[in-house]
Amino acid sequence: MALTNQQLTKLYVNMVRARGLDELLVRAVAEGKSEVFLHSGQGEEAVGVGACTFLREDDYIYPQHRGNGAAHVISKGVSPRAFLAEHYSKATGTCRGLSVFHTSEPSVGIFGIGGTIGTNFSLSLGWGLAAQKRGKGQVVVSFFGDGGSNRGTLHEAMNLAAVWKLPIIWVCHNNLYAMYMPIKDAYPKEDIADLAGGYGMPGVVVDGQDVVAVYEAVQAAVDRARAGQGPSLIECKTYRYRSHVEGMVDFVHADPRPQEEIDDWKKRDPIYLLRNRLLEQGILKQANIERIDAEIVTEVEEAKRFAIESPFPGPSILDEVLYANAKGGAK
Amino acid sequence: MRQIMMMQAFNEALREEMRRDEAVFVLGEGVQGGAFLVTGGLVQEFGTDRVMDTPLSETAIAGAAVGAAMAGYRPFADLQFADFIFICGDEIFNKAAKWRFIHGGKMKLPLVFFAAIGGYGGFGSEHSQCPESIVMHTPGLKLVLPSTPYDGKGLLKTAIRDDNPVVFFSHKLLLAAMGDVPEEEYTIPFGVADVKKEGKDVTVVATSYQVHVALQVANELEGRFSVEVIDPRTLEPLDIDTIVKSVEKTGRVVIVDEDTKRCGITAEIATQIMESAFNSLRAPIQRVAAANYPIPAGFLEQYVLPQAKDIVTAIETVMR
Repeated sequence: MALTNQQLTKLYVNMVRARGLDELLVRAVAEGKSEVFLHSGQGEEAVGVGACTFLREDDYIYPQHRGNGAAHVISKGVSPRAFLAEHYSKATGTCRGLSVFHTSEPSVGIFGIGGTIGTNFSLSLGWGLAAQKRGKGQVVVSFFGDGGSNRGTLHEAMNLAAVWKLPIIWVCHNNLYAMYMPIKDAYPKEDIADLAGGYGMPGVVVDGQDVVAVYEAVQAAVDRARAGQGPSLIECKTYRYRSHVEGMVDFVHADPRPQEEIDDWKKRDPIYLLRNRLLEQGILKQANIERIDAEIVTEVEEAKRFAIESPFPGPSILDEVLYANAKGGAK
Repeated sequence: MRQIMMMQAFNEALREEMRRDEAVFVLGEGVQGGAFLVTGGLVQEFGTDRVMDTPLSETAIAGAAVGAAMAGYRPFADLQFADFIFICGDEIFNKAAKWRFIHGGKMKLPLVFFAAIGGYGGFGSEHSQCPESIVMHTPGLKLVLPSTPYDGKGLLKTAIRDDNPVVFFSHKLLLAAMGDVPEEEYTIPFGVADVKKEGKDVTVVATSYQVHVALQVANELEGRFSVEVIDPRTLEPLDIDTIVKSVEKTGRVVIVDEDTKRCGITAEIATQIMESAFNSLRAPIQRVAAANYPIPAGFLEQYVLPQAKDIVTAIETVMR
């Protein structure tokens, strides 16, 4: 189904929003804000935005850790205020300040993000199983990186999801590096999507810088999953502009990442590509673009103010959240 | 009262809870046929959607259970051998234990990880462990170790109804043990220790299969020493109050558990006793647990796992 002009504009807004939040967090790290930690996702926004913007509210996602999940969770309906407040460890954050760089909002199908790579696979099985049991057409979109594709949990989960025909869309951000490890030294083939053949499910490669291409591939897999036809694997070829951990030196093995490579990829920046498309097709005028960009700057600054002005959680929360329906608490 | 085996008690608890709540389902390797008979016969009543045979994929089983729990279901994941918790350690110790907490309490995780513990059968180092201490050590997991069919049924029903992740360990040697179990429904709350035998000279705190060994020793020593045997039944939450009350009466303590002695639960319970009843102690606390080796299969197993004579020696030591 072709996207309307309004939907294309929404994709643009969500990408600018995700980039704005990421840039704000980059500045916060540079300013030495102690609570803030970031795996920058700049350059990869099209994957989360294209995959999540038009999902149902009751669909589940496991966000990827790039951008601390900003592109994914904002597109799924999490407010920038709550996202940022969490990053400042505030009581108004999505995890009430306990997680800082993770987001939880079960009301829009986001339970959380793990601190270990590869558990998206095993946990998504449970959400897919719940969706299948409930029978209301919910799907799971489970994100992972090229690094995550090296985990053994991938095999157990992709195998079981295929055998049980679970409604799961496995979406890989192949940004070419797992920390400092280039994918060419960690995986023997060109395309991670080739793994799909081993599990008898469709596997497709898409241009991860083209948000519309990501949307179209994910939507086809979502339609398939909602129809009870089981899981799919989508590999998005994309690129990480910044270092593995913001504020730390970046490497390829023991050498610096080539600047020419970064510059080449920036020529295909996902926001830039969509902006040009919207302008060329006359969907938005330059003035509209500038207004949207300015509105997002204001929104992100307002969210930052909200985060900074919000209170820290008190230690009494520790007993409250350890167990559900706890009579006592930790001893 | 009628007598049934521990595994029948578990089977009844599962059947009753699956009838009571459609959100309860079972998954694991060979559960339709019934590994250890615990889940046997359930598929005939509840169908393959609620009694799900899985491939040999422990991280998938545990992860599916954790995910389904947060998404509104109440899984009972049969991991078969407790040794296998290490295969799916990330799902159990990092996800089930922590996800409610680190995400601000926004979800419930009602699920049971069920597994068989224990040696004395020559099952070898990777099918004989009692990994209690690592579970008790991890905030966010409840831990249940029943020693009788009565406790097994009542505690399993409570575990299934609990809104938190529960690790439920049943000793292999107890699965066929017979015991009184009433026909009518009952549950047993967590955090309530059971005094299995009253005595006045020495308090023996024992878990799971060791409760039976301790009771046998207590009976053999009758006339020499009056031994009180306490089964905590759940280690998280731990009913330290009942143990301390007994220690205040006897002044002497032996703690028996089949997990490795070093950093084992015997150390934790001993410390908690000393923290609140040090002045009541009339002798140093003695611990009986597995020696600090992996568990050999075959002949040498007896030199690593705790034996009845070790409990006798420990009691004689504190009574000296």
